[in-house]
Amino acid sequence: MIDAAAPILSVEHLKKSFGDHEVLKDISFSVSQGDVVSIIGSSGSGKSTLLRCVNFLEEPTAGEIRFHGKNAETEWPKAEYHAKVGMVFQSFNLFNNMSVLKNCMSGQLRVLHRNPKEAEEKALFFLEKVGMSPYRDARPAQLSGGQKQRVAIARALAMDPEVLLFDEPTSALDPEMVGEVLGVMRGLAQSGLTMLVVTHEMAFARDVSKRVIFMDSGVIAEDNTPEEIFTSPKQQRTRAFLSRILEK
Amino acid sequence: MELPTSFFGWVAFLLDKYGMLFLQGALFTIVIALTGTVIGFLIGLLVAILRTVPVGAKDSRVKRIGLKALSVILSVYIEVFRGTPMIVQAMVIYYGTMQLGLRMPVLAAAIFIVSINTGAYMAEIIRGGIISVDKGQKEAATAIGMTHWQSMIHVVLPQAVRNIMPSIGNEFVVNIKDSSVLNVISVNELFFMSKSAAGTYLRYFEVFFITACIYLVLTFTVTRLLRVLERKMDGKVNYTIYGSQSDSQASIKLVKEGEVPID
Repeated sequence: MIDAAAPILSVEHLKKSFGDHEVLKDISFSVSQGDVVSIIGSSGSGKSTLLRCVNFLEEPTAGEIRFHGKNAETEWPKAEYHAKVGMVFQSFNLFNNMSVLKNCMSGQLRVLHRNPKEAEEKALFFLEKVGMSPYRDARPAQLSGGQKQRVAIARALAMDPEVLLFDEPTSALDPEMVGEVLGVMRGLAQSGLTMLVVTHEMAFARDVSKRVIFMDSGVIAEDNTPEEIFTSPKQQRTRAFLSRILEK
Repeated sequence: MELPTSFFGWVAFLLDKYGMLFLQGALFTIVIALTGTVIGFLIGLLVAILRTVPVGAKDSRVKRIGLKALSVILSVYIEVFRGTPMIVQAMVIYYGTMQLGLRMPVLAAAIFIVSINTGAYMAEIIRGGIISVDKGQKEAATAIGMTHWQSMIHVVLPQAVRNIMPSIGNEFVVNIKDSSVLNVISVNELFFMSKSAAGTYLRYFEVFFITACIYLVLTFTVTRLLRVLERKMDGKVNYTIYGSQSDSQASIKLVKEGEVPID
């Protein structure tokens, strides 16, 4: 039985240190099915590290990640967890040796062991969704940043994930390309996908997400609805951060 | 029989008399160099993949100790075979196995020596290639659920190998030339054959002039072929755009017949 109220993903007492430097200090929060959570905060506050720990690209120093109530590291097969919890990177990280179509197929073939025909159909379906199907034969080096990021999103979606993690997906883009990627993400949020988004796009955090987590020096300083965070932040440091960001 | 008197006279004479010998020598040289480079490349790949297996603090003791031991063994292999001349390795391996009662066919011994020697160099070249691939590529492969082997074979190594193609070509050229040292174990490669040919009439200059030309032709051809292969690996410069260019930002304007679209 799936309990609708039970969190799909929860982070419990997560700590991460690089040598003596403690980047994450006891982080706990949980995400429910269909939640779109934005994580904001200044550079160096640990946002990206948090996301990378959720996906085990960084090994947590302490604490655990639970997915559907089970420990993601010990009770889920590694490949299955990664397939269900996808990731979109700041620097796209499309596989440079493959065409756009192959990028969206390789995970399906190698990890989910789908047959090539099914994988191709699925890949084309999602490429169509992000408006990139005409470029299926192009190589990553031949695309613009915004196009690459849309392909990266299609690649993640083709794995049929339950949760998608976005690590500053628009930070490496030219300003004029930010819109096309945010447009795709907005559509995904409305489709009911569970999303965890580290972002500097305050408009996205305010208008699209259901919840905003504000991080400051390795802790969650404030976790609330976007209305509360943006109109009446409880913490002084949240106010300070927002006034710095929104002034620009 | 009248013997030639000029340099080129001798060259023509020797070519005529020993043409088949030179040809056979060149063939052996190519076979040894090519097989040795390919097998050496495979050894290098294997070593490089094994040496890049990620080890976390949470891995089991057995895995950590096993990998550590393996890494030490592989380092010793690389150091020993890079640090000693191939000519010495040939003597030690060929005569060593013979004393142990194992008589290797001489061609097999030659290929074995070149392969294992090339493997030690290739391991380092490939390690360099792997380092040259952006680490985001490995991360993306991990994030999509691939294992270390899968991400190496499907994502990292194809890019690494493309980057190190010039070095692999170098290694092949070096093998064509350096397989000449294997004459010490009497394998019928080009240098050994030339030495036999030169001995008969004591015309070392003329014979080795021919030999040099043959080596040059071999290495030059191989270099050109590798360039073609590199270009092939880069893929097509152009790509087809399918259907309409329905970019997510593209907008469609509906215009009635006879009307002029307003921009």
